[in-house]
Amino acid sequence: MKINNLTIEEVTLIDLAGNVDANTALTIQEKVLPLAQTGRKILMDMTKVPYMSSAGLRVLLLLYRQVSAKDGRIVLVGLSEEIQDTMSVTGFLDFFTTRETIQSGLEALN
Amino acid sequence: MEPLTVVGSLNSLAAIAEYVMAAAEAARLDKKVSYKLRLAVDEIATNIILHSYQEAGRSGVLDLLAEFDEQALIISIEDTGDPYDPTKEPTPTDLDQPLEQRQLGGLGVYLAIHSVDKFIYERVGNKNRNTFFVKYKSKKSQEDESNSQNL
Repeated sequence: MKINNLTIEEVTLIDLAGNVDANTALTIQEKVLPLAQTGRKILMDMTKVPYMSSAGLRVLLLLYRQVSAKDGRIVLVGLSEEIQDTMSVTGFLDFFTTRETIQSGLEALN
Repeated sequence: MEPLTVVGSLNSLAAIAEYVMAAAEAARLDKKVSYKLRLAVDEIATNIILHSYQEAGRSGVLDLLAEFDEQALIISIEDTGDPYDPTKEPTPTDLDQPLEQRQLGGLGVYLAIHSVDKFIYERVGNKNRNTFFVKYKSKKSQEDESNSQNL
């Protein structure tokens, strides 16, 4: 699992690469949650995430709550069809803004 | 396939996923069906490792076995934790609620049971055995079947 982030003005781009399971989710949580600061717009690129279990849903839930509490915004980019299916049956998909590309994700944030 | 035995640690999840995907490939399951099987096994294995072993303060292994019968790929996981039947877990009732009001847990077992054609729990001696069934039936054969029913 690789986690990179880059902040330009009010947008933080988080680039995840690798499988998100119970073994990797905690590392992601520790690195990603502190990035949700007051008013920050988060663009999370998951194009390079082939697999995500409920441990990943848990991180998304915590991140979503943190972002909401800090009056920020979050957009998820590049979700695979399978990950969208998982988020759909668990009722997560409706609550997240999702886009296919970083460009369209940035447009949704601005 | 040859069985796989791994230690009850989260570090074993990658090896478990690899084993399941190899079985799915051998059974020629399509991409989505394979993914869901991997998800189901991963969720149950995670539960065993975290709850039956780590939280219970005991160590143990997980024994996986993939078998191919005429109609289905069958994967079983055995552990030596206390009796635990995932099918007895209540179905989450807050899946339509806003994320602010959700409980944090409970999704893994729900996903596991709903991601395969059949899921069975058995207590066998001092072991829990969780078994996942995925039918080989491809999209094409389902279409053929519905076409023939229409004739």
